[in-house]
Amino acid sequence: MNDMRLVERDVEQVQGKIEARGVQVHYGEKHALKDVDVTILDRTVTAFIGPSGCGKSTFLRCLNRMNDTVASARVEGRITLDGQDIHDPRIDPVQLRAKVGMVFQKPNPFPKSIYDNVAYGPRIHGLARGKAELDAIVETSLRKAALWTEVKDRLEAPGTGLSGGQQQRLCIARAIATSPEVLLMDEPCSALDPIATAQVEELIDELRAQFSVVIVTHSMQQAARVSQKTAFFHLGSLVEYGETGQIFTNPTDPRTEAYITGRIG
Amino acid sequence: MSDVTAGAPGAARGQSLLAGSARTRARRAREWRMKAYGIAAIAISLATLFFMLATIVMDGAPAFRQATISFPVLVDEAIVDQAGTRDAAAMAKVTTIGYKRLLGQGFIAALEARGIDREGIPDKDLAAMISDDAPARLRDRVLADPGLVGQTIEVTAYATGRIDGYLKGRVTRESAARDSNVTPAQLDLADRLMAAGMLSLRFNWGFLTGPDASDLRPEAAGLGVAIIGSLYMMVLVAIFTVPVGVAASIYLEEFAPKNRLTDLIEVNISNLAAVPSIVFGILGLAIFINFMGLPQSSSLVGALVISLMTLPTIIIATRAAIRAVPPSIRDAAMGIGASKMQVVFHHVLPLAMPGIMTGTILGLASALGETAPLLLIGMVAFVTNFPAGPLEGGVLDPATALPVQVYSWASRSDPAFIERSSGAIIVLLVFLVIMNVAAILLRRRFERRW
Repeated sequence: MNDMRLVERDVEQVQGKIEARGVQVHYGEKHALKDVDVTILDRTVTAFIGPSGCGKSTFLRCLNRMNDTVASARVEGRITLDGQDIHDPRIDPVQLRAKVGMVFQKPNPFPKSIYDNVAYGPRIHGLARGKAELDAIVETSLRKAALWTEVKDRLEAPGTGLSGGQQQRLCIARAIATSPEVLLMDEPCSALDPIATAQVEELIDELRAQFSVVIVTHSMQQAARVSQKTAFFHLGSLVEYGETGQIFTNPTDPRTEAYITGRIG
Repeated sequence: MSDVTAGAPGAARGQSLLAGSARTRARRAREWRMKAYGIAAIAISLATLFFMLATIVMDGAPAFRQATISFPVLVDEAIVDQAGTRDAAAMAKVTTIGYKRLLGQGFIAALEARGIDREGIPDKDLAAMISDDAPARLRDRVLADPGLVGQTIEVTAYATGRIDGYLKGRVTRESAARDSNVTPAQLDLADRLMAAGMLSLRFNWGFLTGPDASDLRPEAAGLGVAIIGSLYMMVLVAIFTVPVGVAASIYLEEFAPKNRLTDLIEVNISNLAAVPSIVFGILGLAIFINFMGLPQSSSLVGALVISLMTLPTIIIATRAAIRAVPPSIRDAAMGIGASKMQVVFHHVLPLAMPGIMTGTILGLASALGETAPLLLIGMVAFVTNFPAGPLEGGVLDPATALPVQVYSWASRSDPAFIERSSGAIIVLLVFLVIMNVAAILLRRRFERRW
């Protein structure tokens, strides 16, 4: 990792987008997330790393209230998006999820055409007036997801017929088609080969210009490559959160050091 | 099984792969026995199925053919229209007895004209070779077209069940000698009629379209009313159960909170599917007929009772289909900001549709064969009038159903009903096969991969 010039990577000074304070999650009896405080910055890639079962995906799913769909999950604490409490009873999770998009670990395109996959979000949120606008949104989203050139001649083909990497980029295109402000990615490259991974990582870097991206990853190299901020989770607690360069070169917590040097995990 | 016991000493190092160990041989033998059991089980079921189908087809196939006698009949004005007005209302006063005389005269005249020797069979016995159903048909034909009076028309009438049975090998001269309904002389005459081309076995459309007939004229009994009754019931059952079943399943699967109450509902739906069907019949009798006062023997009541029985099946199948939709699709839709309703109607239902349709059709198919509850609500009645069209309230008219018709024919005394009973089973099986094939085709047509 020494060729990555981690130390020199600069983090733009931008304001916080999402603030999490004292977040606790219980799955039934299991205390999955303990007292997490994080401020996620706007137009920044934030990586969550940590061993399996450490709560990083759980925390990610708190940020767009996807844990609401898990019957046994109980979320406590305060999470704000642009200063608004996302658990406010007046807030509709549907609108929240339109602002905070999500890409899942396993590519999960709808069994519909490529076009319909991308157009689905704009359609249900009424973001396009007329076919031309919708076409434009689909094209822009697919271009941003670096998929346009590969699929522009077969937009009516089923999205499930694409290769794994293409499917994942389609899911990213689908997520950004609703113009979210935050994009949550739950191990988006775990099912991809190195070439597709590189494409997705490049994409993440480009997305940073418009979105705040939060990525959960098992690959520390990936975290180091794409992120500006890194949070290390261990056994349900947030152990350390800081600039990526600092976390990987000069961790303050011994557990972080143990993890990034491969002694725990 | 117990293949993974620790410290297996076999397969010593350096032993040839060709030698094979005792352990491997034992495993092979176990595998072979397992396969043999499976094949034996399939062979037994196939043999049983084949035996059942063969018996039914052999017994039932003759029901689709019917002995008919063709001869010219003079529609005598002196008998059917004494006033000479050609007024159908006035002519309707002449009962079938008059037409029976016409047929008898026509038949005897035809024998004489063709020079067929009656060998001393009395007129009464000659006329008795023609089905009692024929005069009624001739009367309907003449009343519908009074212009036929005075003309000689060609009539094709059913032969009686005994003559029909003789042509199909069911009645022999020995049995005829002991039978008061037929004489060996009549059978001899039947042979000569066959030779002359007046008597022949033809495909029997009346079996599929005609109404039931009494014990005295099995040759005229048909499945028309039963087919219409079954059809009405199936359509009504589909209308009643599909919306309710699918709505209940969607609610239970996607919206209902998981608590004691929903658990209780779930358990009871499964219990309901296991309740004996006759119990539903009693329920239908008590609620729909005695309490709500719906007409008995009607396809509406039959459909309501069968709907109650089919509903649990459809709910269970639909819930299984909904549950089989991968959660990743729900997550994907939810992650974009689709509401619960949109997730269900845009994604879950389309993907569950093949399963729902297959389950529904199979549920309907088993409902089609349901007999016991229909007996209790009076659908076993002897119904010779066709129910009215569906828009004229035909679902409230008395009707029977295919399986009930099988049951009631099987309990009649005349042996001619045995073949008709089996013939009705064939028709029922054809309907079931059509529905199952439709289920498979729909599944293929709508199946999607994810």
